[in-house]
Amino acid sequence: MAPDREPLLPQIVSLSDEDLMARVAEDDERSCTELVRRYQGRVTNLISRILNDRNGADDLSQEVFVRVFVHRRNYRRGSKLSTWIFTIAANLAKNEIRRRVRRRNWFSLDALTDVLQDSMIQLSDPAEGREAGMEREQLQGEVGRAIATVPEKYRLALVLRDIEGLAYEEIAEVLGIPGGTVRSRINRARSMLKRKLEPLLRKQETS
Amino acid sequence: MNRCTRARELFGPYWDDESTRAEREWLESHFNACPACREEYESLARTLSAVATLPRHEAAPDLAERALAVAKRATPAADRVFANAAPRWQPLAAAAAALAISIASVIAWQGGRVPQVAIHTGPVASPRLVSLGGAPAATGVPHARRATAASGSAAAISDSLFDHSEDVDFVLDPVTLRRGRAHAGASPSHRLPGDQAVITF
Repeated sequence: MAPDREPLLPQIVSLSDEDLMARVAEDDERSCTELVRRYQGRVTNLISRILNDRNGADDLSQEVFVRVFVHRRNYRRGSKLSTWIFTIAANLAKNEIRRRVRRRNWFSLDALTDVLQDSMIQLSDPAEGREAGMEREQLQGEVGRAIATVPEKYRLALVLRDIEGLAYEEIAEVLGIPGGTVRSRINRARSMLKRKLEPLLRKQETS
Repeated sequence: MNRCTRARELFGPYWDDESTRAEREWLESHFNACPACREEYESLARTLSAVATLPRHEAAPDLAERALAVAKRATPAADRVFANAAPRWQPLAAAAAALAISIASVIAWQGGRVPQVAIHTGPVASPRLVSLGGAPAATGVPHARRATAASGSAAAISDSLFDHSEDVDFVLDPVTLRRGRAHAGASPSHRLPGDQAVITF
């Protein structure tokens, strides 16, 4: 069947997550498109920041929604859809980190591509000076790379909290760990990140 | 517990705005008294602000289409996603077709003759013995065929919904084994009525 390109019906757009998922479970293709529309930004950004790899995040985001569709009937009505989707995304990202660590060849090319793409975006912004844009882009690249150096279990908690803004309770559900462990992992991750970024941030503040 | 250690444990909840009012007030008073903790917290705040200002990476525009296309291929055939679902009436239609074929086969086997149904409301006749001899048994039990001839077909089919007027009565002859072969016990001289037959082995 060809993908449905027709505009989404207003009633689909206004459906709750639960009702939308119920229609997805009944193989309603428009509801599937709406589900992707609702969560694609958060899922892609989450994975992109965990991996520090935008291109890899596209493929992995696709895999997240493939799994949502394939296992659509496993979703338990009453549970939070975003938690279920973030759990799938976090698990896939975790697997991808481990796979890349095994291969030991993941960082350089992807990160370089990411930086170049960000540079193009910044340079094309007419409201911002070239130099300031480059400085900002450089800082963002450093922050992204610093996050990527935080050990996996701390990084997941950090990104879910400080980039996606999930509550501690939801992070506990996504990662399948107690709330106290979530809190300590976030604290550890923040401390590691601060140690890595502090010289750069202090330097930028004084310049 | 050291006051600075306690203060640093509260940095996270303070940043996340999850500390209690009492904790918040205590920490702020500690910042006024301890420049080192204040500097430490400002450093953390700078870091987390830098993280918060990272641009969001947008999804590819065709993500939904690609995910749907892959999901269709990834799902097992028995549970294929979004495949054209078979109409729900198909099983009923298949059953009806099978039934029609069965009925047609039975009719064809019967030579195209639809069985005649006779409704009989009288009492069910008791089973009757069939005698091997030509004359009716002395017990006075009439032969079914004679009863048919005497009282008409309706009386003859008192125990059946079908017309048995053309039926042939089969009588199983006693079988004896002689030298490993089966032989009819009755002599060939036995004469049966015209509408009876003897099956021998």
